[in-house]
Amino acid sequence: MEQALVAEAKDAPRAGDLAFDRLYRSSRDDVYAYVGSLLRNDAAAEEVTAAAFERAYRKRNRFDPERGEPRAWLFGIARNAALDELRRRGRQAELTAEPADLDSFGAEEGAEHSERRLAVSAALERLAPGERELIALKFFAGLENREIARVLGISESNTGTKLHRAMTKLREACDGHA
Amino acid sequence: MDTPRDEKLAADLRALRPTPRPEFAAELDERAAAGFPRRSRWPQLAWQMPSPRRMLIPAGGIAVVAIALVTTVVAINEGGGGSSSEVPRSLFQADKSTSAPEAAKPSTQYNGATEEIERSAASAGGASSAGAAAEVEVKPFSQEIRPRLDRRAVERNAELVLGAAPADVADDASKVFEAVHAHDGIVMRSSTREGEPGVAGARFELLIPSAKLSDALAALSAIDEVRSRHEATDDITAPTVQTGELLQDSKARIDSLLAQLEAAESESERETVEEELAAERRHRARLRAQLQNLERRADYSRVLVRIETGASHDSSGGGAWGIDDALGDAGHILAVAAAVALVALAVLGPIALVALLAWLTHRAWVRRERRRVLS
Repeated sequence: MEQALVAEAKDAPRAGDLAFDRLYRSSRDDVYAYVGSLLRNDAAAEEVTAAAFERAYRKRNRFDPERGEPRAWLFGIARNAALDELRRRGRQAELTAEPADLDSFGAEEGAEHSERRLAVSAALERLAPGERELIALKFFAGLENREIARVLGISESNTGTKLHRAMTKLREACDGHA
Repeated sequence: MDTPRDEKLAADLRALRPTPRPEFAAELDERAAAGFPRRSRWPQLAWQMPSPRRMLIPAGGIAVVAIALVTTVVAINEGGGGSSSEVPRSLFQADKSTSAPEAAKPSTQYNGATEEIERSAASAGGASSAGAAAEVEVKPFSQEIRPRLDRRAVERNAELVLGAAPADVADDASKVFEAVHAHDGIVMRSSTREGEPGVAGARFELLIPSAKLSDALAALSAIDEVRSRHEATDDITAPTVQTGELLQDSKARIDSLLAQLEAAESESERETVEEELAAERRHRARLRAQLQNLERRADYSRVLVRIETGASHDSSGGGAWGIDDALGDAGHILAVAAAVALVALAVLGPIALVALLAWLTHRAWVRRERRRVLS
């Protein structure tokens, strides 16, 4: 449906604006979540999220629906912006990782939940950056495997395999932590 | 991820999902509603440097305008109009080979004057060697003569070809006479032919006071369509000055001979002096005629006017401008434009290639760096 919406952008500028607006509304938090997981810095995540949407808005007429879904296209732009930001800062995401906020895990859900999520967070930290990105795209941004494949420039089956490996590692890390 | 454990892990991961601050989300919503106005760390720089894609349009426009401009300049310089004025080194060059032997007169007269000067100098100085002749030839440029060059003698010649309809030839011919008389000129020779286009025409050999040549040519050009116009000048100051000097020398020699004649005591001596005197007087008459001829050449300009009918034979332009001319001009302009574009391409091509290679290299480097960030 989103593909069709963005495809309208080719027909009429006003319709294109509306389609982009819908894409923005449906993807704003997802893009922030993905970028935030890569940069591990709230201020940088906000900056890059805004820059990614700005860049996508400027390029909206160049989007080709035949080359993939609009969300994959948008996340590709966000990914490049985030990686450029990491390059610009000249340091790895790990170096700027902010400490996990225990309060954000929801104290009302109980200590068991909080402890488990802390363990998951710690296990996530131990994953390789590429694996962590896969997890972010899948569970933070909510992309389908074919969309992830498009963003990363790999095949869908390869995406599934890599994702499975990352989840296995994560689970083992969680078990080890427990 | 089908097992309950995987689903639980997935739920835990989703719970770890970073969420934007409400203030940031509101601010971003506002910017989205405003169409994401450009926000840069360096606003001035962003204003000064548009994106390469946006620069492509004005750059292309400038390139096209530059090519058009150069094409126009080249076409104008190369083409020239039918009424443009040219100054060939030899006057009536085209006419010499056809039917105007008079056209070659200026140069032959000049050569004749030089030969006469050489002969006179040799005989007057009593020296017959080539060195003496060479000395005389150099004389006009020596400092001794230079102060006497108070007025330059310049011979002017012109050729004008007018295009006319056969019915207008007679009318145009009478206008030529009127124009010549209005400028105190002389019609030395004229001929008019009637008939079909290409056959009908007229030819005039005129002498126009040099001081009025420009006005006369303007008046003649206004008679009908100008197909071609050539003007030429020839500086005859040197032969004029030389002839004047020789004339003075001759007069002095005659005076001297007259004095010798008065002082002659014997009949034979008187006869010898009288013979020399007669020869010198003939020589002086020739010099005087020569000087007058030179002065007339400077005072009066030779003008050849031809009235032609039918299509112009001049491929460089002139005549009634028609479809053929338009096609010819268009082809010429296209050829020039293609040549200019080719030159521009030869210059810009390598630059564009280097820029493309630099851009591709930069792009590959950026991609590699992006991959490295997450490795």
